[in-house]
Amino acid sequence: MGDVKIGLEVHAELDTETKLFCPCHTHGSDAPNTLTCPICLGMPGSKPVLNKKVVEYALRLCLATECKIAPEIIFSRKTYFYPDMSKNYQITQYEIPIGSEGVIKLENKDVKLKRIHIEEDPAALTHPSGMQTSTYVLVDYNRSGRPLLEIVTEPVLESPEEARDFMKKLITILNYLDIFDQNECIIKADANISIKEKKFTRVEIKNITGFKEIERALKYEIERQKKEKVIQETRAWDSDNGVTHSLRAKESEDDYGYILDSDLVPIEISQDYIKKIKAELPELAHEKIQRYTENLKIDPMDAQVISSDYQLAKMFEKVSENVSPILAARWVRRELSRVLNYAKKTLEEVKITDKEMSDLLMLLEQGKITQQTAQRIIEKLVEKQFDVNNYVKENNLMIVSNAKELEDICRKILKQNEKIVNDYKSGNEKAFMALVGQVMRETKGKGNPKIINDALKKLI
Amino acid sequence: MSSKDVLKECKNINKEYNYFNTIASDAKEGSGKLKSYYISVKDCICVKDMETTSGSEILKGYKPIFNATIIDKIIKEGGSIIGKTTQDEFGFGSFNVNTKNIPKNPFDKTRTCGGSSGGAAGITQKASFKHIAIAESTGGSIACPASFCGIIGFTPTYGLVSRYGLLDYANSLDKIGIMAKNINDIELMFNIIKGHDKKDSTSLNLELNKDTKIKKIGVIKETLNVDPEIKDLILSKLDNYELVSLPSVEKYSLATYYILAMAEASTNLAKYCGMRYGMHEELKGNFNEYFSKVRSNFFGKEAKRRIILGTFTRMAGYRNAYYLKAAKVRTLIINEYKKAFKKYDLLVSPTMPIIAPKFSEIDKLTPLENYMMDIMTVGPNLAGLPHISLNVGFKDKMPVGIMFIADHLNDNKLIEVGKKWEM
Repeated sequence: MGDVKIGLEVHAELDTETKLFCPCHTHGSDAPNTLTCPICLGMPGSKPVLNKKVVEYALRLCLATECKIAPEIIFSRKTYFYPDMSKNYQITQYEIPIGSEGVIKLENKDVKLKRIHIEEDPAALTHPSGMQTSTYVLVDYNRSGRPLLEIVTEPVLESPEEARDFMKKLITILNYLDIFDQNECIIKADANISIKEKKFTRVEIKNITGFKEIERALKYEIERQKKEKVIQETRAWDSDNGVTHSLRAKESEDDYGYILDSDLVPIEISQDYIKKIKAELPELAHEKIQRYTENLKIDPMDAQVISSDYQLAKMFEKVSENVSPILAARWVRRELSRVLNYAKKTLEEVKITDKEMSDLLMLLEQGKITQQTAQRIIEKLVEKQFDVNNYVKENNLMIVSNAKELEDICRKILKQNEKIVNDYKSGNEKAFMALVGQVMRETKGKGNPKIINDALKKLI
Repeated sequence: MSSKDVLKECKNINKEYNYFNTIASDAKEGSGKLKSYYISVKDCICVKDMETTSGSEILKGYKPIFNATIIDKIIKEGGSIIGKTTQDEFGFGSFNVNTKNIPKNPFDKTRTCGGSSGGAAGITQKASFKHIAIAESTGGSIACPASFCGIIGFTPTYGLVSRYGLLDYANSLDKIGIMAKNINDIELMFNIIKGHDKKDSTSLNLELNKDTKIKKIGVIKETLNVDPEIKDLILSKLDNYELVSLPSVEKYSLATYYILAMAEASTNLAKYCGMRYGMHEELKGNFNEYFSKVRSNFFGKEAKRRIILGTFTRMAGYRNAYYLKAAKVRTLIINEYKKAFKKYDLLVSPTMPIIAPKFSEIDKLTPLENYMMDIMTVGPNLAGLPHISLNVGFKDKMPVGIMFIADHLNDNKLIEVGKKWEM
């Protein structure tokens, strides 16, 4: 057992058209309180009706994480008073979650999942002049009733990095299952964290958004716990200032007075239905790696890296419809990743799509541009979107294969670099590469490397 | 009678008897099966743009923005909605005294109409125009006032009539039903408002049993332990019956009913906090202080009692002993009824153990004695069984009701009995 124990409760919003219990749209309007109806506003007399799509999506995640699946869906009321609650109770799953005892496999560890359950999101509160100082709050019910999955891990994570990897892996799985939209859906975590030095006194950190934040918040909290007296409490993560602050001491478990929600009848989950969902389950990361290496003969490392990022995998699969998968894999994994890393951006944050990538690699594969030219274009594509074919034409970047023209350049370079020529002649093979490099530079990277090679050898 | 005269009559009756919380400003006559019928609606059912308070101060001024499913159906068939009838606050009561607007018995103004659908039963007895009342029962709120006011009160199988637009008391028990002076009107209205509604998840998508033959009747033995005059009235009107014993129903149904109903009610009433609708207070203090202030000022005494008791029964540490145990006992009770229905087509009991009491007598009752009055009606309500209360005669010039209970989906047998009764 390590010195740090972390358990996560992750809330992931599902990418459904409509809300969990009413026909309101989940997204599509930013104007507050425009995506509402008597049901998500909790008006007297309104009644919830379960959105079956949510059950399907929840089952996808349960199956992908090897959960035991409940024989029926039942909902409970979790009662507490808060201004973001339209009914002052939240409809959630308590007695029997849809999934239990699952697992998410990280590189070095299997993270056990206690449960996965379905619940409704409360409304959003805004504090017009800041959380601590505002004298009033505004409520936006657009969020009220959006479908959430709560994923609860056992307290088996042992470092902030591991927690980050878990979140990253979970997001990848959600993406793969096509039940989560990274641009629209919110993913948040509450973390239980305790350290050995303080006899594993449990502190809960609320509301950490995204996987980068989780590492930051937990790192901060470990350092704080080492320095300060630790009591059992609930703390909030303040991302702007990079600190956690106490919300309330937690002497006992909260009492939500759960009862079954008898407005919603139990719904059986038949084995046939599970089978159907299973059969329709999209290909998952580990299946992709296998297919990439075995069928497409992709380098295993490339396959690993590409499939660990859903967006990269999607890009790769689209591009490899147009060019050789091996070339596509190499460029998606190495060149695209390189420029993204350099720009410190993720694929969703940049404009480059599979169209640009395909155009570029087709030009390369057909020998119309050189590798160097392609590299330079991909660097530009990360910054802004443009038509690759036009760009090559307008900037005159087509490969130079005119032997006469290249020979002239070679002659000129040889004359300017007599010392290197002599090095080469006295047996230094590297000197030849230096000469090729010089010629390439002179052609602004556009010279056909094979013709240059031949010309240099002939002239020397 | 013109609709103007009808509304005028309602206003006149109301001055004396308090049957309405709201009377419509006008009542348009439509066309359809309910043409020329005037319909009163219990105050816990949403009628668009008509004040709907469920008898509670906390909802004063609240006008729903939508119709309950059954209201749409009634309007479509040409029924004219004349107003919202008085009731115990959120249905919490058997004598309709747990509210500001207390209806008086049409036979004796010093006595109760019964509850919680008191106004509905009163106007049904008093109206001189063609009238049907839409009422609601959670633990007997249709049968009890029907019995006390001498009219027919019909409560269908749970789930047959959509609850969409009904302000919840206890969701697993609430049933919309009908009151009228004759059985044909009950049947007419039942056929209009029943049926599957996809807006209510508990709404049944099942056919009624078409067999309406009544071969065997069982009188529930334990329910005859009442005023002998009431017992004799009941038995004298039945020619062929056997006595049947339902010991679990007798022993456990009252406690089970009140635990479940209060647990559910305490969550249903959480939404009323002065934030989105109904009564407000000056915005002062934090949200907890604000919510408490609104709820303290505008909920009545019985509502508060049920919120506190209901919250208690579902708290950690008590949940197993009360709420969960009651849920299990409910199954036991249903099974006991089911067993009886293997042998009998209908079960019979008095509707209420007494005639309508005087307000002065009610004042002396403790809350527990009050709850005991529902001993006959909570059983079928807990089991979701259809039941009908018919007038069986009078004692001390006050009506006495007899209650017939049928198995689930055998509602038509009750209509059949009603028809025979009138012959």
